[in-house]
Amino acid sequence: MSLIDIDDVTFTYRTQSDDVHALENVTCSIEQGSFVGVTGPSDAGKSTFGRLIPSYIPNFFDGNLSGTVTVDGVDMRETTIGEQSMKAGMLFENPFDQLTGASTTVLEEVGYGLENLALPVDEIISRTKWSLELAGIEDLVMRNPQRLSGGQSQRVALASILAMQPEILVLDEPTSQLDPQGSEEVFRIVSNLDREEYTIVLISQDLTRLAPHLDRLIVIDDGQITHDGTPTEVLTDPTIEDRAVPVPDPVTIGQRLRSNGYVDETAPVPVSMADAVEELQPYAPTTRPAGGTTDGVTDGGAASADGLVANDVGIRMDDVVFRYNEEVEALSGVSLDLDAGCVCLIGQNGAGKTTFAKHLNGLLEPTEGQVTVGDLDTREHRVARIAQEIGLNFQNPNDQLFHNTVDEEIRYGPKNFEYNDERIDELVEDAVERLELEDVREKNPYDMGQPKRKRVAVASVIAMDTPIVVLDEPTGGQDAEGNELLGDLVESLVSDGVLVVVITHDVDFASRYADRLIALSNGEVLLDGSAREVFGQPDVLEETDVSPPIVTQIGQQLGLEKTVLTVDELFAQLERTSEASG
Amino acid sequence: MSEKHTIYGTNLDDVLEEAEQPGNVIDYQPGDTFLHRLNPVTKLVISLGLITIAFLIPDFRVGLVLSVLLAMVVVVTGVYRPIAKVLAVIGIPLTVALVVIQGLFYPENQTPWYIFESVPVFEQIIVYEEGLLFALLILFRILVLMLALLGTIVTTHPKRLTIALMEKRMPSKLAYVFLAALQFIPQMRQRANAILDAQQARGLDTSANLWRRATSLVALLAPLLISMLISTETRALALESRGFAREGERTYLFDVPDTTFDRALRWLMFACVIAVAVWRVIL
Repeated sequence: MSLIDIDDVTFTYRTQSDDVHALENVTCSIEQGSFVGVTGPSDAGKSTFGRLIPSYIPNFFDGNLSGTVTVDGVDMRETTIGEQSMKAGMLFENPFDQLTGASTTVLEEVGYGLENLALPVDEIISRTKWSLELAGIEDLVMRNPQRLSGGQSQRVALASILAMQPEILVLDEPTSQLDPQGSEEVFRIVSNLDREEYTIVLISQDLTRLAPHLDRLIVIDDGQITHDGTPTEVLTDPTIEDRAVPVPDPVTIGQRLRSNGYVDETAPVPVSMADAVEELQPYAPTTRPAGGTTDGVTDGGAASADGLVANDVGIRMDDVVFRYNEEVEALSGVSLDLDAGCVCLIGQNGAGKTTFAKHLNGLLEPTEGQVTVGDLDTREHRVARIAQEIGLNFQNPNDQLFHNTVDEEIRYGPKNFEYNDERIDELVEDAVERLELEDVREKNPYDMGQPKRKRVAVASVIAMDTPIVVLDEPTGGQDAEGNELLGDLVESLVSDGVLVVVITHDVDFASRYADRLIALSNGEVLLDGSAREVFGQPDVLEETDVSPPIVTQIGQQLGLEKTVLTVDELFAQLERTSEASG
Repeated sequence: MSEKHTIYGTNLDDVLEEAEQPGNVIDYQPGDTFLHRLNPVTKLVISLGLITIAFLIPDFRVGLVLSVLLAMVVVVTGVYRPIAKVLAVIGIPLTVALVVIQGLFYPENQTPWYIFESVPVFEQIIVYEEGLLFALLILFRILVLMLALLGTIVTTHPKRLTIALMEKRMPSKLAYVFLAALQFIPQMRQRANAILDAQQARGLDTSANLWRRATSLVALLAPLLISMLISTETRALALESRGFAREGERTYLFDVPDTTFDRALRWLMFACVIAVAVWRVIL
């Protein structure tokens, strides 16, 4: 018998209508010691699947459950969440909501469950130390849990779960709200766990990072398991839809090599970057270009790329310095002129990026230097006035949605500007259409999943019809379809002449849509140019903890002369080199 | 007593002393004075006892004496700074208001204490003795209350307070609610600021007229409550998963000693209150 047996499970939440199922006829068994990835579009039932294992369904979530779930021989209807937590622990998406909220130190937080189990103090201390070390956060032991960063908080939550010594870990999008550094840390801990002791079920959209570690990949779409197999099998399955699963570049490259006859078709397709590089090696140029990898960058100058409609309202930052608490310097002398197209900002930690964004509309005023939006000095005008020029969308939609329906929410901004009714209707209509929110228009934003809520927040900013739009992490936690939608939105805004500033850690998004890419590091501008120029300097970029997109890295490791941004470009260059040498 | 436990070189009993503070207006002030070492329940009993006495005896001199004593204790303990701040913010306006209102309008006012002559409009203003005495009575009662409770709060780590109370059979769920509420205040403040930022970013003019600002406050409360509710679901699951619902025995990581001296003090305080009450009834 397997460790986890899910047998013909159909589940409908109490809040759903009877003919809609969160999961439908799902059957699946998971062996002890396996590392299983679960992926698929938003709201497809992935979290519901995860909730079966720690018995949250049926013990916490009300609804209609048919079929059986057994973990280690125990039926989930026959246990309690408290009992089951010693067998299976679950880590959630939001790093701040899953702490007890009543601990004054990390020590208490991690030891809380053990205190409840009435273990002796000795044992509590040794288990706490053990789990803190496993999560790599011994140094946080005396910190106040409420004052940690997202990444730190998420690791404290993980340590608290590990302290209960479960054999199974279920992780539900554990990194979607973390910056790259935080995500990397969480991924590293999880993939380093001893596989003889742990069975891991990881729900995530980040297949590029996830796939190389997995034994098995399950795709859930529309409440059903559509694919189930090794990552290679699933990702090369011809029926896999781009909409549901974004296929990582190494796999795409491997498939191309096979269909073009470079590699034997029966050889297993590479999943990791290293394997892809190895397969491509024979076709790479033998002599590496001398000097830096920036040589041979062909495309145009940095600032305002040609062909873009320059806006009459731009943002100018003059030597901006920002200090908080009179000591920490978040920005130390940033001078930038942003005038047209899609400008992406990458490579700052959470605090620095938010600080930057808030400077753009005057929510924060520079300690030194000057920020002007159009002809408004942000220090001399109220935020409400600057908001007419610049629409700022925050990272966390929960901080900016406060109406009962999507429609009212989107209406709020234009109404504040006292536009006439006709214009307001038009703007709302347009924003709803652009973010494909037609069928949820009268719904409460809080009845939807986080990814969709994020789209509502973006729509509410777009509806203000400002000449500048700033989006802070618009793609975090979005599925492939959501990413595409937001990308299209940015493109259409740019072609309407709107200056779009995107603050992101999604390098693939930046690579696809940025007309200009700016890398910030330690409060200063590190690199500023086209995506090709910026990603073409990986050694400089390293300072910001940002790596170029996978395909760009592959090109760099192969020693290609020019920086490539897409798989097509990669092959075009390889073919050119092989023609030249052959 | 139990043997000494340590974690990463820190004595377990010192963890709460050396840990990071949440950043509330009135936080626990780490220290090792006799007041810090008293059992939290003892401190609560003494505080409540003194407050009861101050309210039982209708003479401001009792309040005055108790206030002076408490102030001395607080100064000796070295935790007066946050207390002084709170007293200044609440106390000064309160004093002014009480003295003015009671001195002028106390219903039993008879004996003029001071007369301001040739005041425009009113011609003269009379401050009465009875009203002043009443104001002083109320003031010193409030002062005793504030000094006693604030002194207890700043010398008692909330975690120790809940442990001490749980050892006196307070349900652990109630203890959780108490601690969570304390941690919640800075969180709420942060969240409220974030929402206010977002509203301004969408054109809300916070310096506009009063009506607009009032409606914006309503708009602020809604997302605050909703996001709280969302996080509550996840939090409930996290708590359940850590044996929150489990009944019976529980371990306490931190040891909160309850000495014979503590018990003696509590009985003494209790006896004093009874004595004063009896004396008041007989007289």
